[in-house]
Amino acid sequence: MSQGITGPINYRCPQCLFRAIDYDLLYDKDVDEYYCRRCNWEGEELEILSFYSVYKQQYKHMLKRWTVNEIEAKDES
Amino acid sequence: MDKFILNVIHRPELVPEYINTDAVEGKSNDLGAKEVIGESLDIFKLQQDIAHRNGIKCTIQMTYAALYNDEAIALAKKYHEEFGDEIAHTFLGVNCEEFREKYGLKDPAIWLYHMDDKKRIAVDSFERFKEVFGFYPTSTGSYYMDAELIAFIKEKYPMVKIAVATCFEEGPKVFRHANNSWYTIMDGAPWTAWVPSKYNSQAIAENEDDDLGIVAVPHLSRDLLAIQDNAGDMFGTHPQNVIRGMINDKDRLPFQYNLVDQYQVMKKYNKGYSYNLVYVGPGWMGKAGRWETGYEILVKSYEDFLAYYGKLKKEGKVDDMTMSEFGDWYRANKAINEPCCALWKDTLFGTKNQVFWYADSQMRATVEMKMGGAIVDLRPYASKLRRPVGAGTKANQDASYPYIVHSRYRAGPFVHYAGEGAIKSAKIRYGAEEVDLSSCRSTAQYEEGKGFRRCILRPVTVEFQSLNVQIETAYTFLENTGKIEISRKVVGISDETAQVEIDEFLTSCWGTTEYPEDLTGCTLSVLGKSGERNDLSYDYRCREFKMEDVSAVEATIPMVQTKVSLIPQFEGGTGYYEEGYSFAPNLKIGVYKKVGLNEALVTIMQLEQSEEIQS
Repeated sequence: MSQGITGPINYRCPQCLFRAIDYDLLYDKDVDEYYCRRCNWEGEELEILSFYSVYKQQYKHMLKRWTVNEIEAKDES
Repeated sequence: MDKFILNVIHRPELVPEYINTDAVEGKSNDLGAKEVIGESLDIFKLQQDIAHRNGIKCTIQMTYAALYNDEAIALAKKYHEEFGDEIAHTFLGVNCEEFREKYGLKDPAIWLYHMDDKKRIAVDSFERFKEVFGFYPTSTGSYYMDAELIAFIKEKYPMVKIAVATCFEEGPKVFRHANNSWYTIMDGAPWTAWVPSKYNSQAIAENEDDDLGIVAVPHLSRDLLAIQDNAGDMFGTHPQNVIRGMINDKDRLPFQYNLVDQYQVMKKYNKGYSYNLVYVGPGWMGKAGRWETGYEILVKSYEDFLAYYGKLKKEGKVDDMTMSEFGDWYRANKAINEPCCALWKDTLFGTKNQVFWYADSQMRATVEMKMGGAIVDLRPYASKLRRPVGAGTKANQDASYPYIVHSRYRAGPFVHYAGEGAIKSAKIRYGAEEVDLSSCRSTAQYEEGKGFRRCILRPVTVEFQSLNVQIETAYTFLENTGKIEISRKVVGISDETAQVEIDEFLTSCWGTTEYPEDLTGCTLSVLGKSGERNDLSYDYRCREFKMEDVSAVEATIPMVQTKVSLIPQFEGGTGYYEEGYSFAPNLKIGVYKKVGLNEALVTIMQLEQSEEIQS
């Protein structure tokens, strides 16, 4: 196996992310695969992006704009 | 007053934390690499240009390295002359060739050095600043500055009027988020500007005698709800931090504007004033990108963010100031012991969650509406706890101001047979049934008056098998007295002849992290109306005591030199204590009484410095 390197994109481990830990993945260019040195996760880029997409679901209002007036009025009744 | 004030700070760091990737990967430790310095200065110039393009004045914090770089010095002078930017000082970015050669030290964090080194570095860098610019700086900062370092600087350089003195809630959560490697362990301070105490820079000064002599500001302005159960380093006035938290869809980050707008709402709770601080280190806008995000989006996020402040400025909704200008403004317009207040609403997770934060010279308290108005985080500033940090001190890296309640680190509501963890709540009893108000979610309203701030929860319905009862909770913070008046009023009941028993209780402990600390030697007391009292020295033996018609119940936690009391404002209350045991390492005090419709159980919770001083 070859030396792990920073991948073309420096992804964080998706599994560690769910445990609120930022941990850089290493990339194994021989098999085009990422792996984590902290937890037991390894996988392809597509899998990382799929995890990320699920991670973002905690932010139900991620794309919602709340203005001053809307914040003041929010849950006031 | 109608004042929303903005400080934007940039620093020519020269050896940014994240750009020097070779050093990060252990391949090289060349702090003088021309490419790194060049890129860092380019980012600094870009940040400055973005701010000025939007009409925003900046504070340029010169790092140790920058004070030895001719281009950085020339740039600072030019920006000062052209745009009125303040040339200031910072202890961030000490690592550079000159520093290593002189000191042979590598720690990037001034607060973690031995005190003698802190003093040497402070004098060295202030004198170098004077040599370069011809005057001493009036503002400085770091991620953290303890009271001892600030006092030293203030004595030696009395012109210093303001400092970035902490990062709000960068405690155990941020430490863990950074793979237990980022030593900004500093929970417990106010979230906005304050005058720090001589005893502890994280606490608000009580009066002129206690005034450390500067205005302190937190490193960033953060979302006061998101940081409760998440690492704060994703939810601040720092667009690349927001991207770190993946709160973006490519270059769309509405949350960052929501955050600014919610800080505008904070004027409502702070007599017409609110404050934002933006401080993005150059490492967050490096050409190599940051984690999954490329350079273009990182830069665009900063452009968009400052453009929003620029728009607000044009609309007359924000005043941009330098740090020193803000320091002067704060002194002229705010009291030394000015309370900070916030009723914060969720704009991110899609919930109805709200949280109320209050801080003054005696405490910092967090009231959580989804827990029926339980106090879930309580820091006893009244204890005036000295806590110097750095090598050679007892606290060492742990700068946090200790809590006596923390419902996330230390369990909170009832979870299993060990009972509840640390929480300030109330239980409602009817017959053999019992309900903790922390299971009754609500929302809140705010009131203020002379000498008080009030958080009033909308009534919640407690459902017993044969009775429904509506309870309204109100917290009245009596400013700078250490007292909170807690009212639980029965505002509705399905059987108007019935009474329910309300048990106002506090389950407390102490610490700065998730782990339990030793409670041996704490004292629990129940005091009768006629002067009789029962005291217990804590020893994990599960002992309990109760007395009718009490005047107060108390707990003394000598490790944080704090006494906390519940003082009933009614006759005929039964008071008690419960000692706890090793699997439930808390102490509990409470007062209870039966009340009926339109009656309220009013109790004062008081925080004081205990007689036994530890520091």
